[in-house]
Amino acid sequence: MDLYSHYQHAVIKQATRRHFLRESLAGLGGLWLSGQALGATSPAISHDARQPLSPLHSPLAGRAKRVIFLHMCGSPSQLELFEHKPELTRLSGQDCPQEFLQGKRFAFIRGVPKLMGSVYPYHQAGQAGHWISDRLPHFEQMIDKVAIIHTMQTDQFNHAPAQLLIHTGNQNLGYSSAGSWVTYGLGSENENLPGFMVLLSGGRFPDAGNSVWGSGFLPSVYQGVQCRSAGDPVLFLSNPDGMSRDLRGRVVDAIANINRETHQEFGDPETVTRIAQYEMAFRMQTAASNALDLADEPQHIHKMYGTQPGQESLANNCLLARRLVERGVRYVQLFDWGWDSHGTGEDTALNVGFRNKCELLDRPVAALLTDLEQRGLLDETLVIWGGEFGRTPMRENRGGAEMPFFGRDHHPFAFTVWMAGGGVKPGVSYGETDAIGYKPVKDPVNVQDLHATILHLLGFDPANLTFPFQGLNQKLTGVKKFRVVEELVG
Amino acid sequence: MNCSRLIQFPVVVIVAAAISWTAPVRAEELPEWVEFNRDIRPIFAQHCVACHGGVKQAGGLSFVFEKLALAEGESGLPAIAPGDVEHSFLLERVSSEDEDYRMPPAEHGPALSQHQVALLLRWIEQGAKWQRPWSFVPPQKIWPTTVSNNEWCRDALDHYILARLDVEGLKPSPEAERAEWLRRASFALVGLPPTPEEIAAFENDMSDDAYERVVDRQLASPHFGERWASVWLDLARYCDTMGYEKDPHRDIWPYRDWLIRAFNADMPYDEFTIKQLAGDLLPEATIDDRIATAFHRNTQTNTEGGTDDEEFRTVAVIDRVNTTWQVWQATTFGCTQCHSHPYDPIEHHEYYEFLALFNATRDEDLDEEWPRVTVPTSEADWPRAAALDERIGELQREIHEAAMTVAGDEAEWHDLPIDQAKSTGSTQLRIVPATDEPFTEVVAEGTITSGSMYTLEAPLPDGLSRLTAFKIEVLPTDLVAAVRTPELGFVVSRLKAFLHVPGQKPRELMFRVAFCDEPTPALDPNDSFDDNTEGWGDYTKQNFPRFAVFLFDEPLEIAPGGRLHLELKHNRIATGNFGLVIRRGRFSVSGSDEWTALLSSESYASARRELEEAIAEREEIAGTSIPVIEKQSPVEARRTFVFTRGNWLDKGEEVLPGLPAELPPLPDGTAVNRLTMANWMASRENPLTARVMVNRVWGQLFGVGIVETAEDFGTSGALPSHPELLDFLAVRFMDEHRWSVKKLLREIVLSATFRQSSRATPALIERDPRNRLLARGPRQRLRAEMVRDQALMLSGKFSPTLFGPPVMPPQPDGIWRSVYSSAKWETPENEDRYRRALYTYWKRTSPYPSLMAFDAPSRDTCTARRIATNTPLQALVTLNDPAYVELAREFAERIMAARAEPREQIAWAYETAADREPRPAVVDELVRLSDAALAAFDAEPESAKKLADTREKFALTIVANAILNLDEVLTQ
Repeated sequence: MDLYSHYQHAVIKQATRRHFLRESLAGLGGLWLSGQALGATSPAISHDARQPLSPLHSPLAGRAKRVIFLHMCGSPSQLELFEHKPELTRLSGQDCPQEFLQGKRFAFIRGVPKLMGSVYPYHQAGQAGHWISDRLPHFEQMIDKVAIIHTMQTDQFNHAPAQLLIHTGNQNLGYSSAGSWVTYGLGSENENLPGFMVLLSGGRFPDAGNSVWGSGFLPSVYQGVQCRSAGDPVLFLSNPDGMSRDLRGRVVDAIANINRETHQEFGDPETVTRIAQYEMAFRMQTAASNALDLADEPQHIHKMYGTQPGQESLANNCLLARRLVERGVRYVQLFDWGWDSHGTGEDTALNVGFRNKCELLDRPVAALLTDLEQRGLLDETLVIWGGEFGRTPMRENRGGAEMPFFGRDHHPFAFTVWMAGGGVKPGVSYGETDAIGYKPVKDPVNVQDLHATILHLLGFDPANLTFPFQGLNQKLTGVKKFRVVEELVG
Repeated sequence: MNCSRLIQFPVVVIVAAAISWTAPVRAEELPEWVEFNRDIRPIFAQHCVACHGGVKQAGGLSFVFEKLALAEGESGLPAIAPGDVEHSFLLERVSSEDEDYRMPPAEHGPALSQHQVALLLRWIEQGAKWQRPWSFVPPQKIWPTTVSNNEWCRDALDHYILARLDVEGLKPSPEAERAEWLRRASFALVGLPPTPEEIAAFENDMSDDAYERVVDRQLASPHFGERWASVWLDLARYCDTMGYEKDPHRDIWPYRDWLIRAFNADMPYDEFTIKQLAGDLLPEATIDDRIATAFHRNTQTNTEGGTDDEEFRTVAVIDRVNTTWQVWQATTFGCTQCHSHPYDPIEHHEYYEFLALFNATRDEDLDEEWPRVTVPTSEADWPRAAALDERIGELQREIHEAAMTVAGDEAEWHDLPIDQAKSTGSTQLRIVPATDEPFTEVVAEGTITSGSMYTLEAPLPDGLSRLTAFKIEVLPTDLVAAVRTPELGFVVSRLKAFLHVPGQKPRELMFRVAFCDEPTPALDPNDSFDDNTEGWGDYTKQNFPRFAVFLFDEPLEIAPGGRLHLELKHNRIATGNFGLVIRRGRFSVSGSDEWTALLSSESYASARRELEEAIAEREEIAGTSIPVIEKQSPVEARRTFVFTRGNWLDKGEEVLPGLPAELPPLPDGTAVNRLTMANWMASRENPLTARVMVNRVWGQLFGVGIVETAEDFGTSGALPSHPELLDFLAVRFMDEHRWSVKKLLREIVLSATFRQSSRATPALIERDPRNRLLARGPRQRLRAEMVRDQALMLSGKFSPTLFGPPVMPPQPDGIWRSVYSSAKWETPENEDRYRRALYTYWKRTSPYPSLMAFDAPSRDTCTARRIATNTPLQALVTLNDPAYVELAREFAERIMAARAEPREQIAWAYETAADREPRPAVVDELVRLSDAALAAFDAEPESAKKLADTREKFALTIVANAILNLDEVLTQ
């Protein structure tokens, strides 16, 4: 297909970008400028006005260039994976002391629940001898590569608000997700793919819906694009049945030719932008299809991840995540649904459903870390794993009665998140909770600290990655105090 | 020159006193009259308010509030002494050479420029006249200075545009060709392209009022209301689901239809405002008025298990406050939720005074979304339904009042001294004997099991010879704290009473009727008498003690030694399986004959009879039940407290309803309530309401508002590009158009400004890329809804049907996958497949993807303006979305029916879509495309037939697909 000569292409691209920025970013021009006029110091992200999605050098030297965030929706039990609490096991079956209940709000626990020790045995692993349960035999081979935060805290104890908080920095709807912030701050390294892509497994959407990858008040160009396991891998990527790629090329060609005439006549720069966007869409049709097709992966890779092409699974998504970051996608967000181990039925029982989920998690996540490392990508790729909150050291007693299965309620006061790669200090175990794992006794990390640390690893001063909206220089970390957890930074 | 001398003097004084100017500011660089809003506020905003503003007031000093700026600070020295340069401490601090002394401190920002210092100086010298923020000053019509070309101006508004162009040395563009203007005007007014017939008729109409008649016809079109409702739906955060995790279905589309009717009827904007904010409080509120209040029931309801209904009720109320200010006042009032406004003169407590107006409504984040009104399907039934609702309310109040008169005789109530109390499950009951208090209490403790049934026993009180009534009073466990933050409520789903007399068989006592402390309870105590109903209670939260009175079927003669046994079932739960049980109850009995007298009175009996008939008649009217706003009855009316730093769990001082002090007050002696607030919003005196609406309309028509930040007219927002024009339009909207949106639109669409051609030279693009000066006509991409509606029109499948439940046009499988929902997306084969985009089912957690791609907001919260983007994902929608491919194929069939010869077919198709004759080059290009398509068909006919079954149709489908993607076609 003969769309433009190389030269024309470059000129148009430049004009496109310049105009695009005016209309979208600076389409908030008044805000943008008045934000500056307010002495809210000029935003630290100084985009080249012509290239809003081009890769930027972050203001500080960041090790991480891209992010893979594995979110286990529903929130896995830290007490069955990373929190070794012999004292809790000893007290198992006893009434929870009042001090842990007074003035606290829980989602389902009522009155006085019983304490419950880990359902699974623990052992030490890796060079540093971190305690880990027997549920993650593959992952524990990589444990020296990761930094484990034992003392994550949130202030939300319901799924949807807690997921919003951990992804947008605010429990209410309408805020920008971390992925959109990072894409806004760093642009994309591959203009034929969206800068922020989302992969789902577990059969359901995250509880908070697609707002957890929304762009909120940031321009919509920064929102996450959901990849799909069935049908088009990105919505509307494939040509209609009966239309070949050649013919589609001819259509785009004709549109471009006529649009150029239109531009001659009306002089609207938006028309030039549109020509370039159609060309990009045409390229994206192949680029995104290729990126999201596992067929060309060798057998040993499939074996390592446990992937089965065509399926919707966490394993496939882990491998897809690697393919996407390899191609320069800035932020890859995985959501795996099904970790809400209340014990109301088999699928949410710690000794049944949770065990199955761990099996589906263990191999692919270990493979992802190994694969990234082998390809030399781990150094520059920040991998984050966690849920939206933790689970209670108490056994759930929904409705004030003993339940048929073992389960735990939502627990915002302490949970585990781990990070690896991209500038993270490997082998760190950070923070400490009390004897039953109820709350931190040392080094608590709240959500804005986590966000600040992620941004720091990417090379930003978290206080200066801002966007003016509704009278405020908005930040991912919100208006509350935050700290970068330096101990996690390598 | 005189002026220059005047200013130099004090500058020199300062130079001598405090600093040495290396380059004194030349007086002629300063305005003769220093104006606070223009010259001074920006200095304060840029350099000072971060520490001396609304959030922080270091040293007790704020440059946001006049009284604090002009007061003596904690230093005892006035920062600003009007007219007294020497005693204005501010000047010394900002101009000092000593870095440790100078403001702002170096670590907070750069020093003020000499020019800025000189402005401050002259302002103080001239008396330091403060001004309210520009948008808080009432708009005034100021006629523009003479313009270069009176002939050009068709409307008064054109003078303002031309005056500015004159200043900029620009000339307006020539008038657009008729078809270009008509396309633009059609999208502006009805959101649809004109048909070729309409264009032809207009082009051939040489009468003087051809333009006016076209506009009037479109304003009268029923599609007008659809186009403008779609703008309001973003503001109203309208969706067909409840939001959050489960995001279940919500019937609220009658509100969308209300908007369409209101715009079509050209309901004056003041009335439109009042109805949406307080339609329920209007005297003799109609069904229509009550539907309007659903505006504020578009907030989300959290049905996720284990969520606190009070928490999410509070979130909804905060949303209502912020949305109200956003929609009508373009003010970032939400900033004051945690502290005083950083830049604008609104104080923290004022947020909660305003919140108090919305806090005492009956909704409380319930899955059932009470209160609701059933909107009769047939509009003809509305007056009857409204009259019945009114009558039912009256009768309920009448009966209630009679019952409460009897119940209020405290002396007649005798404590039931409960001596046995048991519960099923793990719920523990403790009896607190009546020693300190006049009544025995039963208190529930331990782990409350949901579904707990209580069995209580008590001897009948001494000295009572007969029983006529039984009363349950349920108290919050902490009476004081519950007023601020409610406790979990209770529901008595089934009440049974038995009389045990020694030597006799226990006898169940039957009840005749029950009353509670509220005239129109959501949960009626009469429903506690059988097993199949809801029961009585405070569901799901309780602020205050509540009671209900149960009257025995017959007065009961008491035998000696008689004991009363009570069974109370609590079957209802709150989300998360929380048992709603009585946690603190008092029980008493009465032997008053007044009850017997009440029940046997004719007035009671006839009221009861009429009530039952009225309820039955109302229930027979079929309709759709939608959530609405209703105020709480006095017994349950919530009180409002300031949230310390915005935290709803940390409540501070109590506040009463009020309006911010910096805006004009209500007339003397007017109580502040939701209705008077709505009147205030819609009043001639409100400086913002009209400005915000005319700016919104302007933004729709020109792509950018006169104030670009349509959502923020405050200090942090943008300033108007044409302030006098904004004020002119606002005043005219109120005084001459009498708040008529149609008249406002008519005026703008017919103006010379709007009639300009949108053709632009490179020089003009360079000079004014975003067309803020309007030296050319507007050229905007279509709104998301218009992209689809236009394609529907071109396909010939467009359904002109108005109103009704949301529809499900084609959408790829697997989009709808929200948690715990079995709702399915099922596309019909009938005309509902082709309804206008605004009727598309809008699910909050997974909205219709192709609308999202074209910048429709998620509607999670109020969106005051859409920011248009231009992305490859949009291209993929109109190229490949099966919904658009289907419409391209239908368009191809239409083309084939219209013309026979290929070149003519293509020319016709282009003209129909772009509303103009094609240039030959365009036809050539499309003919080449068609030829390529024919070749593709011939090469692989079997594959090609999947798109269209014949050669000709295939080629035209390809052409139609291309046309639907042309810049001209996607643009108005």
